[in-house]
Amino acid sequence: MNRTVNFGSRLRYPITIVKILKSPGTPIKKQEVLLTYSFEWTRTVGDHINDKTWEETTTTVVNWESPIDGDLKKWFIKEGDVIKGDCPCMTVKEECPHDVQFSGLCARCGKDMTEVNWAADTRDADRAPISMVHDQTSLTVSKTQAVRTEETLQRRLLQSRKLSLVVDLDQTIIHACIDPTVGEWQRDPTNPNYESVKNVKTFQLEDGPRGVARGCWYYIKMRPGLEEFLQRISTMYELHVYTMGTRAYAQNVARIVDPNRKLFGNRVISRDENGNMYAKSLQRLFPVSTDMVLIIDDRADVWPNNRTNLIKVSPYEFFKGIGDINSSFLPKRQDLLTDAPGPAAANGKSAKEAKEAIPESPAVTQLQLEEQERTLEKQIKERPLQILQEKLDKEEEEAEKASTVSEDGEDTPSSQPHHRHQVLSDDDSELEFLEQHLTQIHKAYYEEYDRRRSRKLELDIDAKPDVGDVMDDVKSKALEGCRIVLSGIIPMGIDVLSSEIGLQLKSFGAQIRTSVSRDVTHLVVSTLRPRTSKVRQAAEIPSIKIVSQEWLSECFCKWKKADEKPYLFDVHPDDRPGGKDSAGTVAATGDTETEMDEGEETDARLTNGKPRRKIRLQNPRLRIVNPQGVSHKLEEDDEDSDDEDDGEIDDDLDDEFSPYEPEDGELSPTERLKGFDWGDVDDELEAFMEESTDEDDEAKTDDDSRRTAGKKRKYATDDEGETGSESDRVDEEGNVLSSKRVRRARQPLGGSSLKNQYAPEGNDDNSSLPTPQVTGEEDGYEDMDEAELEADFMAEFEAAEVEEDEEDQPKVQDPQPTTDLGATTVAATQSAGQQESSLAATAAAGKGSENVSGGEG
Amino acid sequence: MFFLHNLEHTVTLHPSYFGRNMHELVTAKLVKDMEGVCMGDYFIIAIMDTFDVSEGRILPGNGLAEFTVGYRAVVWRPFKGEVVDCVVVSVNPHGFFCQAGPLRLFVSTSMMPEEIHYDANASPPQFTNNADMVIEPNTHIRVKLINMRTEVGEMWAIGTINGDFLGCLQA
Repeated sequence: MNRTVNFGSRLRYPITIVKILKSPGTPIKKQEVLLTYSFEWTRTVGDHINDKTWEETTTTVVNWESPIDGDLKKWFIKEGDVIKGDCPCMTVKEECPHDVQFSGLCARCGKDMTEVNWAADTRDADRAPISMVHDQTSLTVSKTQAVRTEETLQRRLLQSRKLSLVVDLDQTIIHACIDPTVGEWQRDPTNPNYESVKNVKTFQLEDGPRGVARGCWYYIKMRPGLEEFLQRISTMYELHVYTMGTRAYAQNVARIVDPNRKLFGNRVISRDENGNMYAKSLQRLFPVSTDMVLIIDDRADVWPNNRTNLIKVSPYEFFKGIGDINSSFLPKRQDLLTDAPGPAAANGKSAKEAKEAIPESPAVTQLQLEEQERTLEKQIKERPLQILQEKLDKEEEEAEKASTVSEDGEDTPSSQPHHRHQVLSDDDSELEFLEQHLTQIHKAYYEEYDRRRSRKLELDIDAKPDVGDVMDDVKSKALEGCRIVLSGIIPMGIDVLSSEIGLQLKSFGAQIRTSVSRDVTHLVVSTLRPRTSKVRQAAEIPSIKIVSQEWLSECFCKWKKADEKPYLFDVHPDDRPGGKDSAGTVAATGDTETEMDEGEETDARLTNGKPRRKIRLQNPRLRIVNPQGVSHKLEEDDEDSDDEDDGEIDDDLDDEFSPYEPEDGELSPTERLKGFDWGDVDDELEAFMEESTDEDDEAKTDDDSRRTAGKKRKYATDDEGETGSESDRVDEEGNVLSSKRVRRARQPLGGSSLKNQYAPEGNDDNSSLPTPQVTGEEDGYEDMDEAELEADFMAEFEAAEVEEDEEDQPKVQDPQPTTDLGATTVAATQSAGQQESSLAATAAAGKGSENVSGGEG
Repeated sequence: MFFLHNLEHTVTLHPSYFGRNMHELVTAKLVKDMEGVCMGDYFIIAIMDTFDVSEGRILPGNGLAEFTVGYRAVVWRPFKGEVVDCVVVSVNPHGFFCQAGPLRLFVSTSMMPEEIHYDANASPPQFTNNADMVIEPNTHIRVKLINMRTEVGEMWAIGTINGDFLGCLQA
């Protein structure tokens, strides 16, 4: 093993080689003097006290010692050379490359690697930095050794036509809990859950949790069909276990899943050896190449670097409400596609108590260990399963009481076990599909490999394809051609495209759209929030299939476009398009009058298909479609997301919104417009359009869908700024961009905040659907520097010669609590510059006249 | 190599144990504290007896009594070149780990005879020469120590099975 040795960076260059003491071919030892060199340096000499000093240049001759042991092969230098900087000086043949080390000892020669030597720049222990053994962290290898080992592995796999498969335990192939209720059910054949828990395996951990949970039994339920699945899969894949549980836990589970140790062998890695509490990494096991490795896991977020190799399976939850008992260390999961009230509840306590990923430190780790212990204790004390069963029993009882009066005295649970329903049910078919996918990928992989290698029958390691690419090919056909809009599924404020579901959709070949348009094929709706604006928009376009999120999970599970029929979403009758006008709203026409009608129709659609004006006259609050239930939820959702808004109104509106709903006792803003002369406004606008033709940064490429959506949006929300909408309509054909500008200029008035949709009076029945623009107005006023803004606008108003009495109006209307969003809107206004201001003036002018007319009306 | 070694240890006793059987308690505590401990160069395997228990001295401040105990113990000090019998714990492509009592050893592939190779297809994976030698977990094996390294309370060693009479022990 030849090694080239450098002089080292610590020498005082430039140096001159004085004498070489060792000739090539002789053995050298560490710290043995190999050559002498000289260097020049200056120092200050003389009388420091009387300040009579001078610089003196000295030449010093120094010995240079060998940093390593071995046989000297060759010098790159000769006597008399002047060396300017660090450079290689010799080759040495080393006896031992120290490439496998065990706890600071070289496993090849037994030398202590932790010794620090001043002659060497680096420690020997650094020569083997990679830990790649499953059950040990103390054994480390060098890069070359890692490459060698991995190549051997890959050759072996190619020879036997296999791939590696890393398998997660918790909620992927098993579900574990420590709720003692399971044990009781197992011992009680009369229990309704007996059949389900009969096959649950148990074990105790010696070094398990301390405290109450000490010596507790772990109940392990294997996913249905697991044994056969693993048997069949193991002919195509070499299986590894990678879990976030402790080593003892992992081994016990492995023993249950694989009693003969035929499947996993000793290829089990747990969090004890992982070296990271928050993430799993394939590089821990396959440091060089992950070309032949697949992962199955129920969580994608724990594999930050290996997404391409990951097959995400739907989490297996047999013991309801327990979640993953080993997830305390992991960040809260966000990717659930279930119908449960929310991820937190679905994942039980463990998820709630799970921490966001924070930098690892011993203290934090300790904290989390305690956290996990608490979680486990809680499970033992509270027995969530028992509670669930009792609840179910109670419901049963009540139902029974209602139906049969005579059996009143007999409905104690023990006397009528056959009446009781079971909490636990074992109806999971994920593994079936998973097996299909794995077989498919395996087949595709080796087809590709056979195609690539030149000579058949001969092993060619360079011809191996990347399994990630192969999987991409297989997967991307699944939802090809689908253009999908999500509604109510991704929490707002999270980028849809980078969210878990978004990434998955992309990997399946689907395109994600942020807004509803004609070419969208599917709208996926959360059954929890069935009444979003997107649903209303999509209901108008018959080509869009509105499906619930179960459709998505089935697609993800089966890797193909599932039949939409069973999942077709039943749109709320109020959200259905109101007959004749459904088509008209989408087409854009230039005529002002038509546009106007159209706007009204859009509004009318929201009010259950009745003419809007009439309703408005009678009771403006009729616009609330469903004040108590669903819309309330929506509102909360919007509120949450609001923090993420950065004042960019367009972004904001691409997400959900709901029609404006006036406060109690407040007149509808459009009420004032009734006697309004639209002709005036049109004239004004036209004048304005002429004076501002140049485009600003808003000039983005706006596709059709965007425009349509944006327009609808406005119609649904822009009640307050009817003038603004008007301008939009006018230039819908000619100049959409400037209309946008108007909107943006109005932004300080109608900021993007949805925050204060809750009425301060706290009227429950007044649960208004949030309207970004209108409420933002009130909001902005409360928050920003009023004086400054007022001054700004005063100047503009004077220029526009409009009375500015409307300044006071919002404050009177709505003394809302302040939010921090106003500040950003102010900034936006100020940066918008002079032109924008003039636009603002125009918009404000519209408002002003609106107010006047309102006053008149 | 095993030695009978005279050692000294300081035992502290809580005041609640003060009484007639104090010496027994001190001995019991000594055994509990010291048996099986790695003392740097050697392991204390078993404590034979105590030959000198000093008078107790009350520590100011907390009231604990301190006894200096002289005792005789069997200790094991592994030496370089010593041959030990161990049990294989785990096998990986780079070598195998085995345990000689309290001492954990690693034997790398380069420390094995040429004909022994790693067989990953076996389950569990093993080292074998395709004849009488099969090294898998729980195999009894004779290993020669190459070198040791100690830290506080811990000792590791590198071993070899390259040599006469080393390797698998026939059961």
